Amino acid sequence: MLATQTCLDDFLERRMPDAGAGWLEKTVAEIGTGASGQRLAALLSMASRHAPRGPLGPSAAERDEAGRALAGWDPERWTTLDAVRVRMVLAHPAIHEAVFPDLLEECFRYADVGELVALYRCLGHLPDGRRFVWRAGEGCRTNMRSVFEATACDTPYPVSNFDDDAWHQLVIKAVFIEAPLWRVYGLDGRLSAELARMALDLADERRSAGRRIPPDLLLCIGSHGSERALQALAIEAASNDACARRAAALALGRAGATDRLRAWPQEESDVAVRAAVKDALDGRCDQIAFAVFEAGRD
Amino acid sequence: MRFFDPHIHMSSRTTDDYQAMADAGIRAVIEPAFWLGQPRTHVGSFVDYFSSLVGWERFRASQFGIAHYCAMGLNAKEANNDSLAREVLEVLPRFAFKEGVVAIGEIGFDEITPAEERAYCAQVQIALENDMVIMVHSPHRDKKRGILRSLEIAKEMNVPMAKLIMDHNNEETIDDVLDSGAWAAFSIYPHTKMGSDRMVDLVLEYGAERLIVDSSADWGVSDPLSVPRTARRMLERGVPAEAVELCTWKNALDAYAQSGQIDVEALERSPVIDQRALFEDNSVLRGQEPRIDDPVPN
Ligand SMILES: [Zn+2]
Repeated sequence: MLATQTCLDDFLERRMPDAGAGWLEKTVAEIGTGASGQRLAALLSMASRHAPRGPLGPSAAERDEAGRALAGWDPERWTTLDAVRVRMVLAHPAIHEAVFPDLLEECFRYADVGELVALYRCLGHLPDGRRFVWRAGEGCRTNMRSVFEATACDTPYPVSNFDDDAWHQLVIKAVFIEAPLWRVYGLDGRLSAELARMALDLADERRSAGRRIPPDLLLCIGSHGSERALQALAIEAASNDACARRAAALALGRAGATDRLRAWPQEESDVAVRAAVKDALDGRCDQIAFAVFEAGRD
Repeated sequence: MRFFDPHIHMSSRTTDDYQAMADAGIRAVIEPAFWLGQPRTHVGSFVDYFSSLVGWERFRASQFGIAHYCAMGLNAKEANNDSLAREVLEVLPRFAFKEGVVAIGEIGFDEITPAEERAYCAQVQIALENDMVIMVHSPHRDKKRGILRSLEIAKEMNVPMAKLIMDHNNEETIDDVLDSGAWAAFSIYPHTKMGSDRMVDLVLEYGAERLIVDSSADWGVSDPLSVPRTARRMLERGVPAEAVELCTWKNALDAYAQSGQIDVEALERSPVIDQRALFEDNSVLRGQEPRIDDPVPN
């Protein structure tokens, strides 16, 4: 039994109504005898008729439990239906076997948007993740933001399985579509000069178009504070937009530019920006610090 | 006012249409599977089309706060390619039971051929076996005979008529359809079929019970705002507000909610702009303005 199976069982036991729980138990048992791809896909569809609608809403303790079962997994934004579907896939006896990628591919091929989200959430939970790299790339190429986030955020899958090209595409696309980059697990540990260059190119494009620079773009610079990066940060630090100044302060901290942080103008009037400067000087500027910039959270 | 357009082919419409529909008060739509203006030649084209109805199109609609449901089926025109039709009927169950699929449809007659009848019967059977609602298309030519034939078959097969919506009616067909116990839907087209004023005459004469107004807008000359426009004309000409609400909102809701796939309570609440489509009742972005300048980033 995988650690995350037990974890999902715990979560679902607390949430499934009796009838739904009965259906899930029966279905998990059926899948456990080795369902075909077509049958598994059909059952994943039917799950929408048995799971309660809406967010899973895990408690802090449950999120900790999830992180212990699989480092990098955070079910905060899962639905109960996502959890049911992932549990169902994990029940398949062939998940370790060579035939499994084809079987799962059949589920992807006929999936609706909700099923896609659950299937992409599943990838980080499966053994020998490299088998699904092409499929995960499809998840990043999508224009459906919910599907992109299911592939990229709150899962250890990309950082442990993507090569540099796929990883760079994921990170820059997250910035581009304004998906919450701070939720991409392992980001801080896998930044590079190349990624910083791509981010700075995107910043130039945005400036030419007269558009704002999303704060997450500065997150990509990390410790790669080249002269070009520092110039870009100086522009943001001088912005009229307090949000941009705040992001610039955190990014300067990440780039180790403490001299620039200490020289931050005395007349800075915005409380949040002053706090960001202090956080940056104190080293509280890892990727999680950028959560404050996510739309609707501030 | 709020409206439900229970027959519209959004895949062929632009984001400007979505925006105008949302502004006009359209909260929910049903997109029945149809043809593309020319016949498909491979079953794979159907698979990708069906998949887009429950994938990309659902996501697109959510960006404008419009709930997108669909009906799955093999349309009458393409039923005439016998061998392809057989393949399509084989893959249909892979999509017919997905979340948000509110009916089998649009099925029925076009030229009233034996091949069309075979496909119609096979699909009525799928609906019967799975307790589903049926949306029936009626022919442009020889309409009355097509309608009588499809009603007759449905009766022979013991379809509960409260679960059958006969579409594209006019003054000549309304009596037969209402007498059969089915719902009578009217597609309001700018030039052909029904116009708004004829629809108003019908509601004044018959009342609104079991009458449904839709746009059937597609890739041809058609108007995605037919439903709100017709509602306005009804009010101008003295149709009581309750009757207007019945045939532009509640009747369609009652008919298709029999599928169990419509969260009526959620639809009754004020609309939610869910650009991320993360949860059905997402609270993160509730109340924000849709990003109509940049709704579909690449
Ligand atoms: Zn149609």
